[in-house]
Amino acid sequence: MADRYSFSLTTFSPSGKLVQIEYALNVVSQGVTSIGIKATNGIVIATEKKAVSTLIDDSSLEKVSVISKNIGMVYSGMGPDYRVLVNKARKAAQAYKRVYMEEPPTAILVKEIASVMQEFTQSGGVRPFGVSLLIAGFDESGPWLYQVDPSGSYWPWKATAIGKNMVNAKTFLEKRYNEEIELEDAIHTAILTLKEGFEGQMTENTIEIGVITGSPTVQEDGVVVLPEFRKLSPNEIKDYLANIA
Amino acid sequence: MTSRLPSQAKGGFNFDNHVRNAAMEGKGAALPKATKTGTTIVGLIYKDGVVLGADTRATAGPIVADKNCEKIHYLAPNMYCCGAGTAADTEMTTSLISSQLELHRLATGRQARIVTAMTLLKQMLFKYQGHIGAALILGGVDISGPQLYTIYPHGSTDKLPYVTMGSGSLNAMSVFESRWTPNMDRESAIELVKDAIEAGIFNDLGSGSNVDVVVLTKDKVDVLRNYARPNERGVKEASYVFRRGTTQVLKTSIRDMVDIKETVESIATSTAMEVDAV
Amino acid sequence: MEYNGGAVVAMVGKNCVAIACDKRLGVQAMTISTEFKKIFQATPKTYLGLPGLATDVQTLAEKFRFKINMYKLKEEREIEPRTLAHLVSSTLYERRFGPWFTEPVVAGLDKNNNPFICNTDTIGCINFAKDFVVSGTSTNQLYGMCESLWEPDLEPEDLFETISQALMNAVDRDCLAGWGAEVVVITPDKIITRTLKSRMD
Repeated sequence: MADRYSFSLTTFSPSGKLVQIEYALNVVSQGVTSIGIKATNGIVIATEKKAVSTLIDDSSLEKVSVISKNIGMVYSGMGPDYRVLVNKARKAAQAYKRVYMEEPPTAILVKEIASVMQEFTQSGGVRPFGVSLLIAGFDESGPWLYQVDPSGSYWPWKATAIGKNMVNAKTFLEKRYNEEIELEDAIHTAILTLKEGFEGQMTENTIEIGVITGSPTVQEDGVVVLPEFRKLSPNEIKDYLANIA
Repeated sequence: MTSRLPSQAKGGFNFDNHVRNAAMEGKGAALPKATKTGTTIVGLIYKDGVVLGADTRATAGPIVADKNCEKIHYLAPNMYCCGAGTAADTEMTTSLISSQLELHRLATGRQARIVTAMTLLKQMLFKYQGHIGAALILGGVDISGPQLYTIYPHGSTDKLPYVTMGSGSLNAMSVFESRWTPNMDRESAIELVKDAIEAGIFNDLGSGSNVDVVVLTKDKVDVLRNYARPNERGVKEASYVFRRGTTQVLKTSIRDMVDIKETVESIATSTAMEVDAV
Repeated sequence: MEYNGGAVVAMVGKNCVAIACDKRLGVQAMTISTEFKKIFQATPKTYLGLPGLATDVQTLAEKFRFKINMYKLKEEREIEPRTLAHLVSSTLYERRFGPWFTEPVVAGLDKNNNPFICNTDTIGCINFAKDFVVSGTSTNQLYGMCESLWEPDLEPEDLFETISQALMNAVDRDCLAGWGAEVVVITPDKIITRTLKSRMD
């Protein structure tokens, strides 16, 4: 019964705008910056992890998430909304695996998440997600870096930034990026880009980095083994930071 | 919520054909047999971990359906599961639970415990009241050490240091009962498992072919596929290849595969081609 | 399975695979048709064999045609034979408690032109084989023929003779199968489809 009265909250304005989606994008642009760079041999995604108070125990806070073996994700915007999408993405990946017994290609998973986000712009009683996502995946067709917005639109990048500092960060990346960049350089560039707009001290505990590198290999029985997405440990990040400073 | 395409499985079983099939059976039509794994599967706990073992024969009635199938299924990085019974059920049940364990691992950021897997399996099997014919041996190592369980199709479980299941379980258990001791070393544990499986292979008609072994320890898993091959087929001395043209052919159609290469040539940009989007 | 009759067999050769079926459609002992299709092209280099209850054969052939086309549209690539096998498996297992009466066979070359064959039972348990798979009412006879006739690394032309003789001699000892046969040999550069001359009794 209740759903008879649950109208979509996202409706067109007379000028043809969906202001709710624009507001959602405002949330994203106030969110913490996230970076993604696609290299020749892999991808890096990175973000700041800053607690609003020094009293907060942020040791279990996670912003870069593993979705499936070969796909990882990071966000700018609202944390709670992101975690809902992470759960849905992980379930979508498992649902795909249960039918085809193989990992979903990046593009398929991105479309799946994007369709969830789109549905929340048109359904009754819900609001759009207050996040933009960067999704990094390595499949048989190579490395892919996608951005997904609250509207449900998505597109692939070579390198990009979302969140508070995205304009400056993108300008920075445009200067730094080249087609031959390798993952190690890309990680450095990602950290440097984050550093541009970083307030306070950047340490291994205040940034999160996820990488995926390698190439798909074919087993003897014909099964394709894909590279694994993994998060860098604080110690690994510490080493990168030491090299930069 | 997600894709509403009918190509996407909705999840859960579909019973649409059940009434029709029952009617057909009622009229005397013979229903096809599902593949069973006659099976000898075993597991034991030794000093540093767990050893699982299985034969590799799948049967459909009295016919050998697969001479070298895999009965030790991956569940999680720290646990494997041997399956006996209806082959499709063991395959699908373990892969479904494996999927749930992966989500559990991602959500908690920890390795799943063996009891967790055992509970998921028994709750699922109990829910289906034995209609899902999976008899399982679950083995693995977690924070509380090596664990070994048997799970019956109706959902009951046992926690024992050495176990056997399947049609060859008695053959295998006779070997375990006479030779198993606590705190065995790795080598003799694997050897005992191999001998137990071979007891099934040679004395139980539902079991046959090769021995698969998986050894799980705290920080390493060894999958020893076809650890022993006691039933190698003899080499054919002569060839039965027919002379070409033996078979009389009424009609032949050959479709050649053509490689299509697309080349894109850039046409000189002329201003006349552009359309102003005002 | 015994209601309509029929048999399918697939074999691996050297850089090629072959799949063959008989052409009979019967209603128990009465033959209705000698042009009944049991093997279907899934992708340019993959075939799907569906012996069994005729109504389910045709329903599933359409169901899989739909699923394979949807896969191609969504993923912008052809489905690999191994992936198709898992799709077949999960489709059949969904009806674990009211199965389709067919035991599908998948035969094809993957994107690296490696041979792949497998069959499943009625509820989707996959049997990956490196040599041959058989299915349908002549299963027992076909196992006997294939175990003796098949050998590794057969060239496409030899594989054709082997699979043809295996099938024809098997169905001759099966009342419910036979009445013509069709053989498809899949190689990296061509697909050869042949209709065989066989006993019609």
